[in-house]
Amino acid sequence: MKNFTLGRYMPIDSFMHTLDPRAKIVSMFLLMIAIFIPAGFVGYITIGLVIVLAIYASKLSLRFMWNALKPIYFMLTFLLIINILVVKSGDPLFTVFGFTIYTNAIMHTLYIAIRLIYMILITTLLTATTKPMDMTTGLEDLMVPLKKLHVPAHEIAMIISIALRFIPTLIEETQRIIKAQSSRGVDLQEGKLMEKIMAVLSLIVPLFVSAYQRAEDLANAMEARGYIPDRKRTRYKQLHIHFRDVCVLLLCAIVIGISIGIAIWL
Amino acid sequence: MPIEVRKLSHIYNEDTTLQMAALNEISTSIQDGEMLALIGETGSGKSTFVQHLNALLLPTSGELQIDDRIIRANEKATQLKSLRKKVGLVFQFPEYQLFEETILKDIAFGPKNFGVSEEEANQLAAKYIQVVGLDLSYLEKSPFECSGGEKRRIAIAGILAMDPDILVFDEPTAGLDPKGAKDMMELFRELNQKYHKTIILVSHDMEHVMNYCDRVIVLNKGKILKDCSVKEFFKESDLLYQLNIDPPSILKLKDALRAKGFQIDDDALTLESVAACIKKEVRS
Repeated sequence: MKNFTLGRYMPIDSFMHTLDPRAKIVSMFLLMIAIFIPAGFVGYITIGLVIVLAIYASKLSLRFMWNALKPIYFMLTFLLIINILVVKSGDPLFTVFGFTIYTNAIMHTLYIAIRLIYMILITTLLTATTKPMDMTTGLEDLMVPLKKLHVPAHEIAMIISIALRFIPTLIEETQRIIKAQSSRGVDLQEGKLMEKIMAVLSLIVPLFVSAYQRAEDLANAMEARGYIPDRKRTRYKQLHIHFRDVCVLLLCAIVIGISIGIAIWL
Repeated sequence: MPIEVRKLSHIYNEDTTLQMAALNEISTSIQDGEMLALIGETGSGKSTFVQHLNALLLPTSGELQIDDRIIRANEKATQLKSLRKKVGLVFQFPEYQLFEETILKDIAFGPKNFGVSEEEANQLAAKYIQVVGLDLSYLEKSPFECSGGEKRRIAIAGILAMDPDILVFDEPTAGLDPKGAKDMMELFRELNQKYHKTIILVSHDMEHVMNYCDRVIVLNKGKILKDCSVKEFFKESDLLYQLNIDPPSILKLKDALRAKGFQIDDDALTLESVAACIKKEVRS
């Protein structure tokens, strides 16, 4: 909990931070699509290069990115084991304890691993370099065309921004309650099953109580200031597309182009 | 159960861009039965310091000794439960830690975690609900139907029922009305004098510090700026102004009287004693 890196904004002054949030969101989607185009290892190397470039341009430390990947290590290990047991195609690589490991098992795992790692790196890059508020402004702008289809773009953006806004608050709250209950002798690490259930309960109940309290306070505060969701509103912060944003979008479009090219002609 | 703090430092988010030193080589000792006030501006490290006292936070460097238990930096601390039983920590707005269906269960929760039998824990709950000034009829109620002030008392009773030797309160009077705050301070005095608990109080209210505590530690940017008795601390308002603290009204009154040429004893910290000084001056 202390080294919580997933979705955390890092205040650094870098090229990535100055980009328009809309450009970053669209680029992220483009790269995500590129990842799922079956373009083999050449395609993955191309995307990898772009990601390395982006990490370099974001001035984020490699340790930060490494921490962001932490949650999937277990999953990847698990995946490798399953694949080794199940996949029996390709050339036999070597035999351990009567089990023959095939090249395809390794290849399958590697493919999935690369996809997962890339996806997490890309989303981490987006969230670490974009302030949550900019992100929702960007999302709302991108959803404007959907308003024609009666999609409540503003409401969705507001819901997302409130949700994002309260993630750190709730984490803080959880840590506070963990500390308060630890002071009362709750042991979250050790203890019997029954004690553990009680320990979790002693966290969840206060957390829910305060979350509901907060929601009510927030709703009242918004209403007191005359908030009506479907009213037309102006915005203090205006987003502008610059030359650098166009360059980034072009780069991502080229990556997609290469991937599609490889998938079709090679 | 004395507390010894030796060169204690704590750094949050070490080795990231958010790195922040909250405590910087703090050394002090706290004796049994003291009623100590810990003051300082927001972000001066008070809360960080008190969380070290029951090992919720561990030192980045330096060490801290409570009784014969030593907590060192870079050493995996185990068996923290016994320490947490000795040092009861009441957080800011402790009413948010209530979770049980009934107040009885909630107060008994702490003692039961430390291995007290159900029956005994219930007796403790009955005892401490009265100590905090609520009657026994509360025990069967749900904590969530009580008022804010009552909830806070219940939460404090939950810590008291663990029977710790050292009690740490982080801004216990925040958000209470003046009467509620005064009752709370009276309760702490009773705990200190009748039950002989060591009390460590984080507070912003100088009136409370002056009237109830014996010793003051001022923290500033993670360092101890001043560590002295309450009498010495409130001797002159100059020191307080230097530390950017608004002096209690009695000190302001003394300053105003002195400016007019009155001689007022340094020890006179109550309205009555100041009045006695004025009387003496006028008579002579």
